[in-house]
This record gives sequence, C-alpha cells and structure tokens, in this order.
Amino acid sequence: MTPKEKNLWKLTKGALFLVFCLFSFSVFAQNRTVRGTVKDASGEPLIGVTVQIQGTSSGTVTDMDGKFELENVPTNAVLDFSYVGMQQQSVAVNGRSTIDITMREDVAALDEVVVVGYGTQTRREITGSVANVSEKDFNKGLTKDAADLLQGKVAGLSITSASGDLNDSPTIRLRGVNTLQRDNGPFIVIDGVPGGDLNSVAPQDIESISVLKDASSAAIYGSRSAGGVILITTKRGSASAQRISYDGYVAISTAANKPEMLSAQDWRNYVTENGLQEQAAAFDRYNADTNWFDEILRTGFSQNHSLSLSGGGSANNYRASVNYRNMEGIMKDNTFENFNFRFQFSQRAIDNKLRIGLTGVANIRNISPSDKSNSMLASNFLPVYPVYNSDGSWFDLTEWNQGNPLRQIEMNERNIKNVDFYGNGDIEFSFTEDLIGKLTLYTQRKSFDYSRYDHSETYNGRDPKGFAQRDARTMDKNLLESTLTYNTIFNNAHKVTLLGGYSWEQNDFQRVQAQNRFFITDMLKANDLQSGQNLLPEDVLSEKNMYRLISFFGRLNYAYKERYMLTATLRYDGSSKFGSNHKWGTFPSVSAAWGVSQEEFMKDITWLDDLKFRVGYGVTGNQDGLDPYKTLELYGRSGSYYDQGNWYTSYKIAQNANPDLKWEQTSSLNIGLDFSIFKNVLNGTVEWYRKKTSDMLYEYAVPTPPFLHDRIMANVGDMLNTGFEFALSSTPIRNSNFTWTTSINGSFNHNEVTKLSNELYSTSRLYVGDVGGIRGMSATTSSILEEGYPVGQFYMLKSNGIDENGKYIIEDITGEGEITDADRTYVGDAQPDFVFGWQNTFNYKKWDLSFFFRGTVGNDVLNIGKIAYSNSQSLIGANVRKEALKIGLTQAPQMCSYYVEDGSHIRLDNLSIGYNFDTSRIGWLNNARVYITGQNLFVITNYTGLDPEVRMDGVDPGKEEREFYPKPRTFSLGVSLSF
Amino acid sequence: MKTKIKYLLTSFSLLFFFSCTDLGEDVYDKIPADKFGQTEAQINAIIAPIYRSLTSLWPGDGLVISEESADMAITPTRIGGDWWDGGVHMEFGRHTWQPRNGVLNGFWNSANNGVTTCNKVLAIIESNTSMDETKKANAIAEIRGVRAFWYYILIDYFGNVPLVTSFDDTELPSTTSRKDVYKFVIDELTEIKDQLPSDVSSKTYGKFTKGAAYFLLAKMYLNAEIFTGTLTESSFTKGTAEWQNCIDACDSVLKLPYILEPNWKLSFEVNNESSKEIIFPCVFTRKESGNHILHRTLHYKDPIALGISISPWNGISAIPDYVNQYDDADKRKDWSFLIGPMIDPATGDVLITQHGRDLIHTIDIPIIEGSQNKYDGTWGEVHQEVGARCYKWAIEPGMSANSENDFAIFRLADVYLMKAEALVRLGRNAEALPLVNEVRKRAFDDPSKLLTEVTLEDIYRERRYEMAWECYTRQDMIRFGTFTAPRFLKPETTPIYKILFPIPIQALEANNKLTQNPGYSGL
Repeated sequence: MTPKEKNLWKLTKGALFLVFCLFSFSVFAQNRTVRGTVKDASGEPLIGVTVQIQGTSSGTVTDMDGKFELENVPTNAVLDFSYVGMQQQSVAVNGRSTIDITMREDVAALDEVVVVGYGTQTRREITGSVANVSEKDFNKGLTKDAADLLQGKVAGLSITSASGDLNDSPTIRLRGVNTLQRDNGPFIVIDGVPGGDLNSVAPQDIESISVLKDASSAAIYGSRSAGGVILITTKRGSASAQRISYDGYVAISTAANKPEMLSAQDWRNYVTENGLQEQAAAFDRYNADTNWFDEILRTGFSQNHSLSLSGGGSANNYRASVNYRNMEGIMKDNTFENFNFRFQFSQRAIDNKLRIGLTGVANIRNISPSDKSNSMLASNFLPVYPVYNSDGSWFDLTEWNQGNPLRQIEMNERNIKNVDFYGNGDIEFSFTEDLIGKLTLYTQRKSFDYSRYDHSETYNGRDPKGFAQRDARTMDKNLLESTLTYNTIFNNAHKVTLLGGYSWEQNDFQRVQAQNRFFITDMLKANDLQSGQNLLPEDVLSEKNMYRLISFFGRLNYAYKERYMLTATLRYDGSSKFGSNHKWGTFPSVSAAWGVSQEEFMKDITWLDDLKFRVGYGVTGNQDGLDPYKTLELYGRSGSYYDQGNWYTSYKIAQNANPDLKWEQTSSLNIGLDFSIFKNVLNGTVEWYRKKTSDMLYEYAVPTPPFLHDRIMANVGDMLNTGFEFALSSTPIRNSNFTWTTSINGSFNHNEVTKLSNELYSTSRLYVGDVGGIRGMSATTSSILEEGYPVGQFYMLKSNGIDENGKYIIEDITGEGEITDADRTYVGDAQPDFVFGWQNTFNYKKWDLSFFFRGTVGNDVLNIGKIAYSNSQSLIGANVRKEALKIGLTQAPQMCSYYVEDGSHIRLDNLSIGYNFDTSRIGWLNNARVYITGQNLFVITNYTGLDPEVRMDGVDPGKEEREFYPKPRTFSLGVSLSF
Repeated sequence: MKTKIKYLLTSFSLLFFFSCTDLGEDVYDKIPADKFGQTEAQINAIIAPIYRSLTSLWPGDGLVISEESADMAITPTRIGGDWWDGGVHMEFGRHTWQPRNGVLNGFWNSANNGVTTCNKVLAIIESNTSMDETKKANAIAEIRGVRAFWYYILIDYFGNVPLVTSFDDTELPSTTSRKDVYKFVIDELTEIKDQLPSDVSSKTYGKFTKGAAYFLLAKMYLNAEIFTGTLTESSFTKGTAEWQNCIDACDSVLKLPYILEPNWKLSFEVNNESSKEIIFPCVFTRKESGNHILHRTLHYKDPIALGISISPWNGISAIPDYVNQYDDADKRKDWSFLIGPMIDPATGDVLITQHGRDLIHTIDIPIIEGSQNKYDGTWGEVHQEVGARCYKWAIEPGMSANSENDFAIFRLADVYLMKAEALVRLGRNAEALPLVNEVRKRAFDDPSKLLTEVTLEDIYRERRYEMAWECYTRQDMIRFGTFTAPRFLKPETTPIYKILFPIPIQALEANNKLTQNPGYSGL
C-alpha cells in the first residue's frame, strides 16, 4: 500500500519532506552498500518486504531471514520499505550502512484522516456517523459520476438507477425517505464548496468520498443537510510525486434484459388457434417478422480517456486533468459525450503563512437523451409489421399508441448541450500556528441548452405536423464563505478545535423556451423556429428567479487523549424562501465518543485494536423542495381571454401564498460503535439511528372556497425513519503473495409517515401515484400517503390471483358483496427492509480480482409493464409480452396487487480482474495496470419484470414504468499508466 | 501581538463585507399583488379569470356528468378495457356513482374554483382605488353574475353546497341547503341585472350580460320545483313552482336583440361568435387547450376520413335510443351525430380498425357477447367503432389541435323552449305552440313536420332534439321525472336520491364541516 496524501495536512507533511530531501541532495553524494533486517512488531523477521531507493527503480526484497542488501546506495538516499498489510516506511540512509527496521501493522483505517464538514478529522476522533470510501474501493468499470462509484458501498446510502438512459440520474437516499416534497437526496459538497453537482467531477479525479450520515456530523451544513451530506475530495498534486497519469478504457454495453414480446410466429399461432384469420388478414399482409426491440436496441460502444499532470515544489502544488468520455447507450438514440477540465494550483508565501489556492473546472456535455416512448411503441407494434415497406419507405401507422419506433429514432432529434463552469479561490492565512483564517470565493454558471425536433412523419410529430423546441436555462451561483479555526492542545492531553464561519450564497435561475409546429419542411429541425406556422401563445416562455442563503456557524471539537471526544455545532441559517417571520432557523448538534480501547485498563487486551462508542443528536433542515416566492401573493399569466374580437393575456393570483412557511426540520439521534480486532483482521461499525422530520413541507390539499387554489405549500406532516446499519471489513488471509479482503455492509430502515394534518389541514391520507397512459386507467392511483404507513405504500385492490375464467380474484375487504374503490387496501411497500453490499478483493502477486454483489430484501415493485403489455386482450391489433398468454386475463386490466411483486434481489454488480506490471525495471514508468471489468452481470430475483431496481424518488416510488429503458450489461477493458 | 489583532480584525471585516443578513426576495417573473391593477388593461386582465374558469364546464367533466348520467351519451368500455378507468363511466351509466368518483370530484373542484375565483376577483376590484365608480359597479355586477351562475351549477348537480361570498372569509365553510343557495342566486341576479350591459354585440360577447342574467333567472325559475324541493334517501317532495316568473324572465330575454339564427348551424360553426342566438358562451380558441370535443369523441382513425390531424381518444358516443328517437327528416340528427362508414380518401375504401373491423359508426352499441361477465353483468365491452359520435360543432379543415368553436352555455332557442314549457305547465298550450314551431322549423324542409298542438311530452322531446350534447339532458329528465327510469344498460329504476350527486369524498376530507347528501356515505 502506498500512503495516500489525503488532504492538506498530509500534503504539508509531503512538502516538508521534499524540502528535507532537497537539503539532503545538496550534500555531496557518495554511494555505498546498505544492509539490514526487517522485522514485525513481535520481532519475527518479515519475508518479501520490498526495499527500494526512493525516486529510482532499483531495489530488492528481504530474504527468508528478513535480511536485505542493496548496493550502490547514495549516502543521502531514502529507502522505501513496503509490505502488504504493513505501513510503508521511508528511512533516510544518512550515511549509515546498516539499517534495521521494525514495520508496524497497517491500522491506517484508524489513523486515516477523513474529510468532514469544514475540516478533517482522524477516524479515531470522529464522534458522528461518517463513512469514507476511497479510490481503491470505488466501483470499477464504466462510471459516469460519484454516484456510480459509491453505489452499494455505504451502509444506509441507497443509490438506485431506474433506467439505462445515460442522461438519467440515479435516486440517492440516505437512511430512508426524508421528506415528501421533492427529496433531492444528500447535499453535495465538492472540495469544501457546498451545493455541488455529482456530475461535475470526473470519476478519475476523485480521491475519496465521505458520507455524513447523522445529524451531528451533517448539521454543520444546517438547512440543507437533512438528507445527509456527501463530501467529494478530488485528487491533489504532491511535491513527492511529479506524475503524468493516463487512465483509459473502452467498454461495450448490451441490454441485460429485454421484454419478451410475442414473435411473428407466436402471433400467427395465436391467430390460428383462436380462428382470427379473417381479422388478422388486415394486419398480416407484409410477410414480415420484426423484433422491434432488436430494431431499437444496439451494442453501445464507450470510451474514456483521462490524463492528469500533478506535482509541486516546496511551496506549491498543482494538478491539472482532462477527461474525455464518450458513451453510447443501448438505445439507438442515446449518447453522452463529456469533456471535463479541472485545474488546481496552490501556492504558499509569507513564511508559509499564506496559502492561496485556485481551482477552475469546465465541464462540457453533449447528450442525446432517449425518447422512452419508443419502448411503448416497440411493445405495441406488431411483429408482423415490417420496418420498411417494399419500396424502401418507412412503414408506419397512425393509430393511438401505434407508430414505428425506429423511424422515431432515426428521424427525431433530442440534444442537450450542457456547460458547467466553476472556479474558486481559497485564501488561507495562519495568523499564528493555532489560528487559521480562510476565505473562499466561488462562482459557478451552469447552462443547459436543449433542442428537440419531432419529424412530421413520426408518431410524435405527426399531429403537430412537425414540432420543434428550444429550451435554454442558466443557473448561476455565487458563494462567499469565511472561516476561522483555532487549534490548541493544553496540558499535552486536551485537544480543542474551535471553528467559526459565515456563508453567503445566492442562486439565480433564468430560462427561455420557445417552440413551434407545423413546418412545411422537416429540414430545418429546431434551427429555425420562426418558420413554423402554428405558434401558440404558450409556445414562448421565459422565467427568472432567485434565492439567497445566509448562515453563521460554529463548531467545538474537544478530545482528551483520544479517549473522550466531544463535538458541538451550531448553525444559524437564513433563507429568502421563507416567510418574513420565519426566515431564520437554528440547527444545533452535539455528539460524544468514548475511545474505550485507549483507556489504561484496556492496555492488556491485545486482541482488541480499537473500540469506540459514539452517540450524537442534532437537528438538520430542509428547504430544497421549495420553490422561491411561495410566501408571496403574486399575479401570474393564466391563459388568454376574449374581448371584442381579440385575445388578451389574463392574470390570476398564481398560488395560495403561505406567509407562514418555515424550515422543515429533521432531528436525529445516532448511536454507533466502531471496533477493530485481531490486528485489524476484522473491523467494523454498527449504528442505530432515529430520525424525525417535522413541519414537513408539502403541497397539501385545501378546500376551495375559501382558498383560491386547491393546494397550498405548508409545514404540516411528520415522518419517522429508524434504522440499523453495519459495515464489516475483514482481511482473513494476508501474506506476501496473497491477500483476501472482504467487506459487507447492510442497513435496515423503517420509514413511517406519522402525521399529515394539523389544525388547518385535516388530511389523514393522500392518494398518490397516477399511472396515467395505460388504457382504461385514467385517474387510478397506486399508492397512498397515510399516517402510520411508509412512503411508497401501495394501496389498491387486493388480488388473490386469477381464476380459471381469466378474472382477478379480488378480495372483498368491506364485505359488501361488490368490489368498489372502498375495497382497496394496503398491498405492499416499495421501500426495502434491508439493503446490502458485499465486496471481495483478492490480490495474488501482481494480479487482483474483485467482485461486488449488492441487493435488497423486502421491497415490493409495481410491475406497470405487466399491466400495460401483458394483457392478451390487446391482441391482435397490438402486440403483448409472452407472459400475457400464460396469464390469460379476460377482463380489463385493473390496478390490483396481482401486479405488485417482491423486488428482493441480489445482483453481481461488478467483477473486475487487474494486473499490475512490474515497472521496477523501467525507470520512466511508475505504475502500469490493465484490467477488465464486467458490470451488471446477473440478477437473482423472483421479480418477473425487467429489473427489480426501479424508480425510487417521489411520493410513489417502486414502480417499473410503462415507458422504460432497459439496463445495460457492460464489459470494459482499461489501462492505467503513470510516469 | 498587535499585528495579530490587526489580522483578526481584518478577517472579521471580511466576514461582514457583504450586506450579510439581507434575505429579501427579488421577484422577476411574477407581479406582486399590490403592484397590479392600475390601468384599464390590467383591470380587464384581472377580471378575465372569471370567464376562463368557464372552460371547465364543457366538453370535459361537465359533459360527462350531465349527459352520461342521463340517457343522452355514454363512454362505453371499449374492447380491451379502454375507457374503463376504474368504472367511472359505468357508474354514470348505471347510476352507481360513488362519492370517490374522480369525474365528480373534478367537476366539484372546477365549479368551486369558479366561485372562489369570482370571490377573489371581487375582493380585488372592490378594494381597487384606480377605477371610477361606474366601471367598478359594472365590473362587480359581472363578477357576481358569473358567481351566481356557478352556484346555479352547484345546486343543480350537488344541491347542498358551501356558500361563500367573500374571499376574506377564511373560515372553513359548512353546508348551505339547496333552498337557501337557490334564494341566494335569485337575489343576486335580481340585484345586479340592471347594472349589466344589454347590447348584443361583439363588445359584450363572452361577458355576463343582462340577457345572461335573465336567462339564468328563467332557468332557475324553470327548475324551482326541483331546486327548492325536499330530498331524502327515499323520497322527493317538490318545492314551489315559479312558472310565471320563468315566463317573465324569458320575455325579458326575448325583448333583447337576440335572434333565432335562421341557419341553425351558425351557432355551432368554427367562428360561431357571429351568432346572435348565443347569449352566454364559453369562448374557446384553437390556440389554447379547452375545446377538445373531437378528441373526446372521434375514433383514432376518423381524422383520416375527416381530413384533420389530431389523435383522438375514441370516447364519448350517443346512446342508441337517444339517436333513434329523431325523425329521419329532422336535419338535426345529421347535424348532431357522426354516423356511418368512415372512408379513407386515399383509397376510397372503408377504414379498418386496429381490431381488423370496418370503421363504421353504428347507432347501435352492442355489447360483445359474454363481456358483461367482466364487469357487473350488465355493463360490458363494445367494439371500437360502434356508436354515433358528437358532430354538432363544425370541424375546422386541417385542424391539428383544439377546436376554435365556442360553446353556447345559454342560447336563445332554449329560451323559446323554456317559455313554451312554462306556458304548457300553466295550461296555456296554444301560446306555447308557435314558440316550439319557431325552433322546430329550422330543422325540417317539410312544413308538415311542424306541430299542430303541443304537449309537455312534445316539449320534452323537442328539447332533446335541439339540445343534444349541451349539458341539459340530466336537468330536463329530473324535471320531467324520467331520470330514474330504466334505460339502456340500466334495467332498474334507481333510488330517488340519485337526482343529486354526492359531495365528493375528497371535498369532505379537505373540509370536514361539509355534510354529505342523503343516501350517500360520508367519510
């Protein structure tokens, strides 16, 4: 293992070390032979320890007696000793000819420095719940962003990808659903800058990711941290390693699961068996046999190249990187191209008291999102229809939900051009050794430019006779943050850190959209909107809004000999979004830890490396789901009105203003235990938490009259999440040639809506989850929000299967003898009881192999695809899935529990084999590695739909959608080089 | 040490460099309420929403609950379960609607939204300081007129409803009896009618005018027996009849310069704002969503035959007995319904449906044998193409979105028939005869088809021939006592309490002070 320069702390050490080295070089160099013995802490000799002269490729390994001999060693050289499972040591020769070394067990996990909010802490000192994932544990293969790297790795952090569309973001939830109103998941902080975007950092630039799970660690981010915080730390240059690194891979993706539709032969058999030849003649007259999913799917080819330069001198360090990624989705209309440039430079001056760091990032993306309605067309279109007519023209039909999906893909266009640019400057000044002030200025502009054209001959474009749209949005963010940190240790035992800070942030959003239709030619696409001949008043829109956040915060850390640790934070947050009397909120937290293993009386228990109890309580807030201006009474356009032959713009009060809107708060209690035993052979963390969200923001139903609109944004409900998590890691086998590391994490969470009403709003249940678009199911809901039930509670008729006549056996809950809406009941929960990930890594000499399983237990999934496409009554005019014939439904499909299935599954998410070349003979090459990775290799489940991992956001999660995008299985081949 | 203190001070001044606690909101794309309503154009824009709310009347939920609960229209469940929608349409056809019926809830919300919009606009106008007193009084009369209209709709369908007349009253309202709301509507109209404009011109088209006020008074009086009656779960006692008041109100309309357009179709044309027969329209424009009657009724492939470019939903059709009652010589049959084979202009052949059947809109709507078992034994599935479609509003050639045609909520032909009915009810049949024939003569080429005497039954039928698809069938059937009788797909007589719809459960959930109507379950 190489030491990881994780942060400035270590960086400084590195810089100092380099200074030291430089001084050493200035001494006249002489060469000699150096001998020595390497032993472990118990005095046993270590065999096979690598001994290398730093900065060169010359070195050796220790023999059976732990002895080594190196010739031609400069007297001012530094020797690096490394051995798997031991801490690497660097020893200056200083003219000696004998060097004996005792290597220490690598309990780096405990001394590891972890990035926490506004600072770093060693793992031993942490009092809250913080998980840290570093580069070696990231998911491998084709990865788009930090979410892909983390998926399944952190107990309690659920990352679900509902589709294979490269433009879709996964749903990220930490410790359950935390709010009803547009839950944005954890708050993202990139290199200390709050409010970032996961996709603005190339995966190859990420050094480590910390997840702040409990309120006591997250509360320093106050109002936006109720969903947890993800801290991303990017790689930095280091004076000790002047490097050029290249990392590249190519990948191919294919559909892991396609819906099984009737083939042309199946369809014809059905016609014959049911004596429908006469009616079938109208459809089956093209002598065709088409698998529509084969037509619209493909093998996607992707590549990623990333190049970085890094290094530094005695007073500076830098890292610059460029990343190019080009991905093809498995749907033919789906591509994603990304250029990411990142530059960091940091310079010290005034006796190292001043440090100024500059960071600039540009991220340019060209994306073609997939039009998911093509999956619906490919499902409905008959296999006896051809792709092309005999004259080569497109075959198509113009009925409801019928159209040639390939024609749509080939002729329609959807393009997104994104640019994210951000830059920040950090000025850090050490007033004294103990007192450090820091000022961060940050500015960011994100722009989004969307263009769409639906060709006048395709399914989408035929009604409007060609439809073109442009949509341009600009999102600006300006941030000022300033902190003052005071560190001191008194009486050699009491370590105190005080932090105070101020933060000012403003976000501005503006947008212009225009669309037009009825074009006399399809050549112009969305590039000449004005030539459309049917411009409607609502085709042009522009918007602009802003919100501002201002915060004061402080933190006290106290540690006594790593035995007793206390952290207290306070954040006073203001947001412009709230009512004038409720703009400010106070978010306190306190946590404590007891390092039991550091106590004198534990000294003799040698098998116990570390044991620590932690307990913390804190309050965090949420306002993310809230749009600006909700407290104000405003006029907005409300269509047009007719007056004396002309149409004018009508204005209406746009919303029920709620001047009393205030912060939604989540208070949480966390109790945890960290341990490490048998010289770190097994270490782990177990935690229990209870989170209560109160004054929950949501659009509640209100009566009209007296209200103008039937919904109002208000602070009403409460929600509770309780859970238990564990993360265990073990290295059962560790010797010089072979290491096996295995780690498993799991989390149990119970979510419950505990209150939905107050004196004003007397709702006890809300029916949610429209499944619109399915024939015969307008205004049918799938789910319920109700006191005492979780978010994602399915609520519908209960089916006990299908009888021999092809009818649902619906349970008569009310016992009234007829089945009505009143017979609906609770039929499943979309949220899993248990989520787990299991990682195994094997190292054998230069080879490494890792595989990663993840999965869920106890979640239910509503298989909407089955409702929509597995109904044999759609035959013979529309195609159905093969299972339709087996199901043999003879009544109209109904929303009932027949379609709610157990979504428990286990997935082999990642399998990776790598080989590290021996570069010791090649002076200019530092590291060379090749690897091959397979992703999403198989899923074991009883779920009968495409994939049991489905959309998990919103108030009606857990549904596999009618318009879908199958998930890919990806194989990639990659190489990493550093010089 | 001194320098250190300096440094400290500098850093703190940096902390407070920005105006550090200002959390005001800058609003860019909406107008703060206190900064609007100064010019005449702005005031007109503020009043406009009261008229925009009318677009929810027709052809959406209002059409469904009026004509499908009556024997005029049906949205049958098509083969494969299209339009089953949890049974909402069956509930209307079979008179088994539940308080949770989504269409009822939608309509309840629309109507109450109409009321509350009027109340809000009224409050804004009343407190406006930049309008002169006459203009203000006129505007207030208009707003109160539209509000009275919405209360008429509410008592017609739901009977006992919350009566709220001031926006500033934020208490959750409780239920007011149908009788009291009836009185409120009469009083309001009586009070404002002379403050309203009386001209029939493009200036007043689309506005609540004196004609609209008198029309609505006539409608209220015509239904007074029903609106002021006493309903229990098992009985209905009629209230006081107001036939003479109805006649007087009709006469007041007839004095105004409206005409029965000689060309019947003019009131349903694409540009029907030129019709002098229309008293109170809901004005639609093809440029905004609103008039989607063709989407709602046409078959998926009908646009090919009709030369238009929309994707219809194959929904509402006419009930066979309703279409069959027309005299074949009555031109209103062809003018109101799309019947027969639909021809592909490219081939000259009949179009073929997705189920391989000829696209012929039959009047008959035969239930597919055995499909009743899928539903409640009576209701069943029908083929895609069956059923006469709504064809009353002219189709704009080449149209690709919504219809431009306005919907006449009130039109003069109805006044003729209302007056005729009130006269007959008072035994003055001879006076009624010319009124009925005035309406009837536009529909026939053969003068012998005119009536020589008129009965109540004749007026009932004439209303049906004339007013198909115009949201009056349910109200008329209740007044004529035929609403609960057996009919197509409803072999049983329904309980009398069904003459009112239930207060939707969703409304009771949002406001637990409301009372459920007799016969229906509450929370």
